[in-house]
Amino acid sequence: MGEIITITSGKGGVGKSTTVANIATAMAQEGKKVIAIDFDIGLRNLDMLLGLENRIVYDVVDVMEGNCNLSQAVINDKNTKGLFFLPASQTKDKNILNVEKIEKLLNELKGIYDYILVDSPAGIESGFEHSVYLADRALVVTTPEVSAVRDADRVIGIIDAKSLKAKNGEEVEKHVIINRLKPELVERGDMLAIDDVLQILSLPLIGVVPDDEKVVSATNRGEPVVLNKESRSGEAYRRIAKRVMGEEVEFMDLNEKKSLGKLLKGLFR
Amino acid sequence: MSLMGKLFGKEQGSASVARDRLMVTLAKERASNAFPYMEEMKRDIIEVIKKYTKVKDVTITTDKNQDIDFIEIDVALGK
Repeated sequence: MGEIITITSGKGGVGKSTTVANIATAMAQEGKKVIAIDFDIGLRNLDMLLGLENRIVYDVVDVMEGNCNLSQAVINDKNTKGLFFLPASQTKDKNILNVEKIEKLLNELKGIYDYILVDSPAGIESGFEHSVYLADRALVVTTPEVSAVRDADRVIGIIDAKSLKAKNGEEVEKHVIINRLKPELVERGDMLAIDDVLQILSLPLIGVVPDDEKVVSATNRGEPVVLNKESRSGEAYRRIAKRVMGEEVEFMDLNEKKSLGKLLKGLFR
Repeated sequence: MSLMGKLFGKEQGSASVARDRLMVTLAKERASNAFPYMEEMKRDIIEVIKKYTKVKDVTITTDKNQDIDFIEIDVALGK
């Protein structure tokens, strides 16, 4: 049976979809059968990040409404074997989803894929509720900024209230991903450090993604940055994917690029 | 923060300000999120009291004493 993993954040623009695209790609590269689903109805985005926007015929709402079969709507990524994608619908009313239909779809997917990654919409409205309802576990993405951390805290507080697993007396496993960390700023005391964020959110960490310009060009091209073996953010995502899959992986040293000159400068600033 | 800054305690990065502001704000917000059913319950209580007598106002306050949460309900009766 596949595992349903919801990626959520509360605040928009912190890198949820980028995280989904990269973890899904990395898992597929590890030989897993993975499907990424965009639950942001009306504001489709994951397709562009995966570079699959031109291959969409049907979407997740079409499947739930019975306008097509599941296999007609699911797109397989030709560049990454084992990676599949189910797009959000772009035009339809976002309130069209309902719990019974989502349950039916996700349970069907669980029988086919090893991992089902659900890209939650920003906010804490019905779209968010639907995306966490059947989650086995949740990855909460935040950046080291006050607004993102505050919204992450709010979301963490409601995940269990909206989850079926919690209703049955179990807990949804929750982890934090800290995205776009700038080690130099942390060093200077001008950005919340990893420990600050973890202490505030009181959740375990599953990965830190350093701020990386390569993500921008990867997004421009529609090729997730994990495909770039040289990128540090890609390496961070690869490690997160492995941890989600149950492997123990060392955390990256984010300061390793620091030169002696910089060290000396820091000393006398 | 640089080593010199740390040694002489003159440099205070904005991160510590962010941390303190978050701690205070979240402490408040978590307290109000702890009873998500409050408004609904208040409506129900008013309905029940209305069945027996006139109700002017219902005030619900919450309190925490070590591990026990308290809900205090004050009912002001109308004439």
